[in-house]
Amino acid sequence: MAEKKVLVVDDEIHIVHVVAIKLRNNGYEVISADNGIQAFELACEEMPDVIVTDFQMPGMTGLQLVEKLRQCEQTRDIPVILLTARNFVISQQQQKELQISQCLSKPFSPKELLANIEDILYRKVVNQ
Amino acid sequence: MKLRTNSYAIVTAIVACSLLVAGLMAWRSRHGALCMFAYCVGAVGVIWLGWFWLKLARAITSIDRALQAELPELDARSSMLDSGFPQGGGPRRVSSIRYRESVINRIESYSKLVEQFRNQIKDLQIQVKLSQRQKANTEAIIYSLCDAVIVVDESDRLLMANQAAGKLFHFDFKSSQHKPIDELIAGDKSKFVDFLRQTKYSQVEATRHEIEFTQDESSKIFDCIISCVYDDRQQVCGAVAVLHDITREKQIQQAKTDFVSHVSHELKTPLASIMACSEMLADGEADDEETKKQFYSVIQNQAKRLSRLIEDILNISRIESGLIKIEKQPVSLTIIIEEQLQMIKSYAQEKGIEIIAQTPIVYDQVYADKDMISQVIINLLSNAVKYTRCGGSVKIDTAVNETTGTAQVTVTDTGVGIPKNEIGHIFDKFYRVSANNNQAKGTGLGLNLVKQIIEKVHHGRVFVISEPGVGSTFGFELPLAATEAVEAV
Repeated sequence: MAEKKVLVVDDEIHIVHVVAIKLRNNGYEVISADNGIQAFELACEEMPDVIVTDFQMPGMTGLQLVEKLRQCEQTRDIPVILLTARNFVISQQQQKELQISQCLSKPFSPKELLANIEDILYRKVVNQ
Repeated sequence: MKLRTNSYAIVTAIVACSLLVAGLMAWRSRHGALCMFAYCVGAVGVIWLGWFWLKLARAITSIDRALQAELPELDARSSMLDSGFPQGGGPRRVSSIRYRESVINRIESYSKLVEQFRNQIKDLQIQVKLSQRQKANTEAIIYSLCDAVIVVDESDRLLMANQAAGKLFHFDFKSSQHKPIDELIAGDKSKFVDFLRQTKYSQVEATRHEIEFTQDESSKIFDCIISCVYDDRQQVCGAVAVLHDITREKQIQQAKTDFVSHVSHELKTPLASIMACSEMLADGEADDEETKKQFYSVIQNQAKRLSRLIEDILNISRIESGLIKIEKQPVSLTIIIEEQLQMIKSYAQEKGIEIIAQTPIVYDQVYADKDMISQVIINLLSNAVKYTRCGGSVKIDTAVNETTGTAQVTVTDTGVGIPKNEIGHIFDKFYRVSANNNQAKGTGLGLNLVKQIIEKVHHGRVFVISEPGVGSTFGFELPLAATEAVEAV
């Protein structure tokens, strides 16, 4: 079975590094970006199965990245997990409108992130 | 008067007779001169006589007129005394002394009553004046309030408004009194009228609302308390609205919320790295020694970052609240700069950045807290090295201006620079130039701490000049120790 591809987007290099190791150890292919603009370009090129993105990033925030992904036909169906260190940054309504699969608060557990990714991919397969 | 009148008459008669005799004799003796004299005397006599009678007649006439004027009153008094007061049966003639005394007593008592009424009128007039003065004082108090005050009656017509209300809602009270309130307040401020009506019709004692208005092209928030006015029958007969400007309080509240949000974010970020690495290590996810070392290093660095952040936040809070302990003494800027250059040297060497220090100036003592100034210099040097690419340079200068009595320190780098539209915010708390975020990490508190230490604690000045792609010069000015000593004296 082909490895599932995960795009990890965060301006904190340590977070990207840790998450990448965790996901690779569990059979995922990981590509990464440290800003929203680079992440969008990679998403269009690589068509990952899931995108894990930080909320607070310079230039383009995670939310703006998701809005852009939803506007593009190629990327509008890619599930997104949003990581944020700020409380109440996004409402349930916004989450639903932007089709954000999950919001995880920082500090988060890599195990929890992995469980969420597996859950999202399972539901994606079931719905297909 | 009678004797004088008679004397005048006798003399006049003698003169007249003399004239006649003289005239006759002259006529008989045929003496012309004597005749002339006689006639002259006669003429004078006649004239004098005429004037005398004229005067007499006038005197008699004036006396007669005066008597005529007093006659009715005399008659009335006379008739009153003679006939007495009518008592249920028409006037009766009473001439006794006792009745006259009673009349006089009644006149006196009526006079006293009139006097009492006069006094009461005076008292009422004084009370009216006092009430008017109290009303004027009350109105002056209300008009002088900074809060807008509006009073409406049961028909929503304007009864009273102070100057602040007129300025807020753009109407002149004098020309607007008794006009319907919805004619005076319209547009985006009409929600205030809605609140006013709702409160009156709900008949609750008071309601409170926060209303946002545009005033002088800026948005302002008001705390509006509307109270019902009740009459004797406990029916609502009007309403009083007081609007207090809480824009500043809201801004402070928002700044606090933003600060907490920023701090929370900044603390959680390194914490996230620490927790993730710790979990990976604990779960044995780090396969090789190299990965383990990396995780340990991340934990260590992020823990230090967390510590610095907490320290910066606490220092800024202490400075802002005035609780920080300051130990000022004359210190040499050159010596402090030397010490901090030693600390930054290895970091600069790692990045391949040249540090250029100026030749020390002999007389550069400032009256300052040594630890705080050391913190300022290390922050500026650290930023300069952080935001300068490999192969660049960082130069630190000191200068003394004897005219202004100040010492100036500048740190100039050949780094990434700061965009013009962001220079104004560079010293704000948690502010980081977004374009430079990829260049280096930071808490966004370092420059704010520099500003607080130099300006708030030491009454100096910070400044920055920058050009994107060329570099930046950060600096500060402090009064020389000699200047401080003179001012202290």
